[in-house]
Amino acid sequence: MTGLAVPRSDRRTFLKGLGLLGAATLVPGCATSSKSPGSGSAPSGQLALQSNLSSEQAKAAMEKLVAAYNKTGGSQVKLNTVASEIFRTQLPTYLTSANPPDVYTWYAGSVADSYAKKDLLLDVSSVWDSMGNYSKAMQTLSTSSAGQKIFVPTSYYWWGMFYRKSNFAKWGVTPPKTWAEFVAVCKTIQSKGIPPIGIGLGDTPWVASAWFDYLNIRINGAPFHRQLLAGQGNFTDPKVKAVFTKWREVLPYFDPKGKSFPFQEATSALLAGKTGMFLIGTFFADSAPKDALDDIDFFQFPIIDPAVPVAEEAPTDGYFASKKVQDVDGVKKFLTWLATAEAQEIYVQNSSGTVIPANPDGKSADTPLVQKGKAMIEGAAEITQFFNRDSSDALQPTADAALTKFLDKPDQIDKILKDWQAAAEKVFKA
Amino acid sequence: MIRRTGYHVAMGLISFLWVAPILWVIVISFRSFDDVAANGLGSLPHSFTFSTYKSAWEDADEFRALINSLLVTIPAVLLSLGLASVAAYGLARYSIPLRRTILLLMLMGNLLPPQILLIPISRFVELIGYYDTLIALIAVHVGFGLGFYTFVLHGFMRDLPREIQEAATIDGAGPGKIYSAVILPLTRPALAALGALSFTWIFNDLLWSITVIRSGEKMPVTPALLGLQGLFVSSWNVIAAGTVIAAVPTVAVFLRFQKHFVGGLAIGAVK
Repeated sequence: MTGLAVPRSDRRTFLKGLGLLGAATLVPGCATSSKSPGSGSAPSGQLALQSNLSSEQAKAAMEKLVAAYNKTGGSQVKLNTVASEIFRTQLPTYLTSANPPDVYTWYAGSVADSYAKKDLLLDVSSVWDSMGNYSKAMQTLSTSSAGQKIFVPTSYYWWGMFYRKSNFAKWGVTPPKTWAEFVAVCKTIQSKGIPPIGIGLGDTPWVASAWFDYLNIRINGAPFHRQLLAGQGNFTDPKVKAVFTKWREVLPYFDPKGKSFPFQEATSALLAGKTGMFLIGTFFADSAPKDALDDIDFFQFPIIDPAVPVAEEAPTDGYFASKKVQDVDGVKKFLTWLATAEAQEIYVQNSSGTVIPANPDGKSADTPLVQKGKAMIEGAAEITQFFNRDSSDALQPTADAALTKFLDKPDQIDKILKDWQAAAEKVFKA
Repeated sequence: MIRRTGYHVAMGLISFLWVAPILWVIVISFRSFDDVAANGLGSLPHSFTFSTYKSAWEDADEFRALINSLLVTIPAVLLSLGLASVAAYGLARYSIPLRRTILLLMLMGNLLPPQILLIPISRFVELIGYYDTLIALIAVHVGFGLGFYTFVLHGFMRDLPREIQEAATIDGAGPGKIYSAVILPLTRPALAALGALSFTWIFNDLLWSITVIRSGEKMPVTPALLGLQGLFVSSWNVIAAGTVIAAVPTVAVFLRFQKHFVGGLAIGAVK
């Protein structure tokens, strides 16, 4: 009897407890929300900074950065970090809302320009008055198609062929400089029973675009690459086909498992010596165990045609502001501060340290790897960013589809390129 | 006998298949980042640590996210069930004109895929000044749940014997009194089942929270878990730990109301 009765009264108290909790929570819920309906841009002296840097280290670095600015006086900045995936999908909603956040983390180039074209971004030309020392490439990336400066770059990173020094020594290979040397290195590594080229395309099919980008800028040059991505070229062009013909030469050396796991797992495979090298951006270092970091090195994507001016991929990150900001002076003051070497050093020192300050006077992390990367980018004749950043997030899926198909069925290049062109035309016309 | 053993072995294997991903998440949640990075997610654990739970709880602010989730879930469940039971009472026990149409109209909202309403809702919530508030989220959940809950409760209340209500009326009870003193207590099994179900649904929602909420500190636990993923690199061990923590409230509710879950599935099945 009691065995039945006890749980019953138990459930009642549980329900009552829930009810009380619910009633109690409803009240403060009202109180806090009525204080700030849409806390986007609080009116006086407070700026909202919407950040997509949600990984633990980057988030902590952003908090330090904002704290440092808030000590300088002026408008107080309120950092709001949301998951990068949410940020990416919600950014158009943020920008078009009636009371949008003021400043946003985002990427330079056409992905910023696409919002400028919709007249959603603040003209920050006056901020650039204090940024005379920035490189010409940075200026171009931050200028909208209407000729206004709409972006403040603060950091960039680079892509390279990463490998483990100890493994290269073990296999008796040295970093190649030319395509022929690269193919020879692949052959040697394969003869040891290791897949030479690692890749991770499951969940992250965009990683394949790095190969397309690099082969295209090595064979056809950066200007052709940019035009193609801007919709002024044609993917059925024989010059584009040449890219894939070259790619086919090394296709047998790709890790066959790479199609099934994401790039983070591909990093593990590289570090464990299950693959030889990996074309990837420096962000991969965040997913490496600390003790492996000293053993990591990279080489520049091999030169294919020495007559083509050397271009490198250096995706640039930074900030832009909403056109609807209330405190325009406060926002510009904050952006001006973000552009200083001092501010960028605060971020670099507190984040994973593989990004390089966009301000030429800013000191990057003092590791040989970062110094080497910085030297490579500074020595490049041309800078591109990455497929989606040089085109649009809408064009990226067309590349993912085409490249994944190519890796599966390389003999169908002509049909794949025709399909790609058709898909791209739809995107450009939209 | 052999058939029985075969049945148990087969069922055991199938349940293991079901539980395996959960076990895998739990195993990952106790591995260190360097272990996962060096050996891959799929390998057997080479390390054991509780620090993942600490970083999910502290660095990712999962405590606040859980509070937010409860701040939304509990009022939303109570409000939607309260309103739905009143509506169902009216529709089931009184001959309101067009009551069938009203019920179908309410249910029709549930047939629309929620995705097509994302933009209208986000704009509307902004228009009335409740964008980025938990109130908005509660309102959305109540609005979306109401149709289905009313439908289920209507079916349940309709089958309660007429005589009880007549007896109450003779004793002088008005509609309000009949609702609170007679019908509602009798509907409790259905309410408990629906409460447990709706708690899980609302607690596990991601879509609506990212649609009407913008500030990181107001996000419920599901988007907070998404926030543990970095732009490129994710600490899967911390995410696994965060997921385990986030599952605790729903599991607790499930265990507490287990039999009603099953009961809830059978509501209206037998007339």
